[in-house]
Amino acid sequence: MKSKESIFKNKLTWAVIAELLILAVAGILEPGFFSIEYNQTTGMLYGSLIDIINRSAEITIIAMGMTMVIALGGTDISVGALVAVAGAFALKFLRWDVTLYPTPGDYTVYPFILVIVVPLIICTLMGLFNGVLIGKFKLQPIIATLILMVAGRGIAQIATNGKQFTTGYTPYRFIGQGSLFALPFPIIITIVVCVCVMIFVRKTAFGTFVESVGVNPNASRVTGLKSDRIIMIVYTLTGFLSGIAGLIYSSRISSCDSNNAGVNYEMDAILAVVLGGTSMTGGKFSLTGTIVGSIIIRTITTLVYYFGITSESIMAFKAAIILVVIVIQSEPFGKWMATRNARKQKAGELRG
Amino acid sequence: MKKFLTLALALVLVIGCVANASALTIGFSQVGQESDWRTANTDSLRGMAEAEGWEMIYDDAQQKQENQVKALRNFITQGVDYILFTGVVTTGWDEVLKEVNEAEIPLLLIDRMPDCMEEIEYAGAFGGDFIEEGRRMARWTVNYMNTTEDVNVVILEGTTGAAAATDRTAGIQEVLADYPNYKIIASQTGNFTRAEGQAVMESFLKAHEDIDVLLAENDDMALGAIDAIKAAGKVPGKDIIIVGCDSVKAAFDAIVAGEMNATIECNPLYADAVAELIKKLEAGEEGSRELLHPEEGAFCIDGGIEYAEGKVSVKAADVIAERKY
Repeated sequence: MKSKESIFKNKLTWAVIAELLILAVAGILEPGFFSIEYNQTTGMLYGSLIDIINRSAEITIIAMGMTMVIALGGTDISVGALVAVAGAFALKFLRWDVTLYPTPGDYTVYPFILVIVVPLIICTLMGLFNGVLIGKFKLQPIIATLILMVAGRGIAQIATNGKQFTTGYTPYRFIGQGSLFALPFPIIITIVVCVCVMIFVRKTAFGTFVESVGVNPNASRVTGLKSDRIIMIVYTLTGFLSGIAGLIYSSRISSCDSNNAGVNYEMDAILAVVLGGTSMTGGKFSLTGTIVGSIIIRTITTLVYYFGITSESIMAFKAAIILVVIVIQSEPFGKWMATRNARKQKAGELRG
Repeated sequence: MKKFLTLALALVLVIGCVANASALTIGFSQVGQESDWRTANTDSLRGMAEAEGWEMIYDDAQQKQENQVKALRNFITQGVDYILFTGVVTTGWDEVLKEVNEAEIPLLLIDRMPDCMEEIEYAGAFGGDFIEEGRRMARWTVNYMNTTEDVNVVILEGTTGAAAATDRTAGIQEVLADYPNYKIIASQTGNFTRAEGQAVMESFLKAHEDIDVLLAENDDMALGAIDAIKAAGKVPGKDIIIVGCDSVKAAFDAIVAGEMNATIECNPLYADAVAELIKKLEAGEEGSRELLHPEEGAFCIDGGIEYAEGKVSVKAADVIAERKY
């Protein structure tokens, strides 16, 4: 009886139920939605469910960091711009000077290691910049990250002179378009990132520190936690993760698209965290929930494309589903369900 | 002494004004740098001012309407001779454009037309003929396929609500309506971006097994879709015929590589037409309320396909070296 109540109060359960419900509706309308087959020519598993997980990679990776940012009671709205920054710098090192190398082809101007490492370092430093402003200078997170949200895209534009570079370099294209163990490579990256973050957070005391600072930074400081350092680590990590997402994004399209890369990713990442059951007020957080949240968002988008819902109604359709999911997860609804179940059980016992 | 000074100052002012009047000053309020197309458009018009020896005050609005309103008001205070204007959105310009009219500065509308066009005075309007571009995409496809068998068409639309998207869709539908064997089996927005074009095409390929033709309302979405088609184990340009729009350099690269079939031009180079009109206005001639379209072509793998009455497409490989954007 007690365990049942806690299951219904657990927001993760509701996120999973919501996802399964959406998929069930899709499956009833079109059973082909679930078909997964092995494609001989590409050597990859092929199907809508694979697409959903594959295309949720960027948001899932960013949302890993965003979960802890939100657990600290903050937000990071610069992640979308950092996605653009990473792509722009990667393409800059791949093509360097488009007047010298006018046609995109299977080559890179600078060594591949620089193409990968430099964007990641830049994004990590940008994350650290956010962290210092918030941790040391005590700026409001939304204001502090607003700086890079605006400036980031500008920096990305400057890196490529406002142009959209394209590349045909096979190792770079592999990041977003290749496959390993018959799975699209972004899925593998996502799994590795999620496992690493979870080990770092849950196998060390770091997760507990984050929750403690999120609940009450002053009390945490008094008990000896260096809250400013924890804040800095979390924002730096988020910057780094946004960099990885940026590499995946630009690799998928074999180009940098500084104007459109990562637009609204901050909103999607925050939404993924909230759908996953982490409260915006800070404190307890669930990384598993966030993964489910991110998959829910992508499922909705994929459904819209798959079923040919008209372009005009996409926004309204998405909003409607998200509204339902969030209401189902809300505390009053959970309590209502729990008491209703308890009453039913009681009635059953009495009858029995 | 004081009188002399005043006189001298007045003289300087008069001379200054005369000197200024000899060169035209043109204010240009541009939406910002959103794409290679836009960069080419800006470069073309700024190059025009330089070539003609006119002074251009250029304002990059960074996709914000309030910046553009501010820029237009600044142009009025500075007393420029002409204003070139491309609005980031279509609505909300009534008031500031009426102020421009009251200041009696000739207004030249470029590329995107504001909703209030009918109610305001303007000396000229230059824009792409989006409906015709849509028609050309469809006509090129029909003439290239040259078949009476069933053809399944999917469309990647542009940003919902943008004139370039709605008009191109309308043009495509208009032409395909005359060919009952062409069926539009899916049509969805890809937001004019590579990433979304790719994601939408990926889902199209799952939902429909027999796609013959992809019409993408800009080249970026077509380029994104190419990778999605490859990932599905199909050959872009052969299993699925791909037609884009805009004619950016990257599309030429793809066409030459045989991965894309054609691109319909949307010409950003307005300099010649705009310069011609300004010279006419300077000579005292009247402006025109008619929307003027720049000359636009079509490019494909082999060339020689008719896309409009009496016009045939050009082989992309022949002109790729001259493409600037």
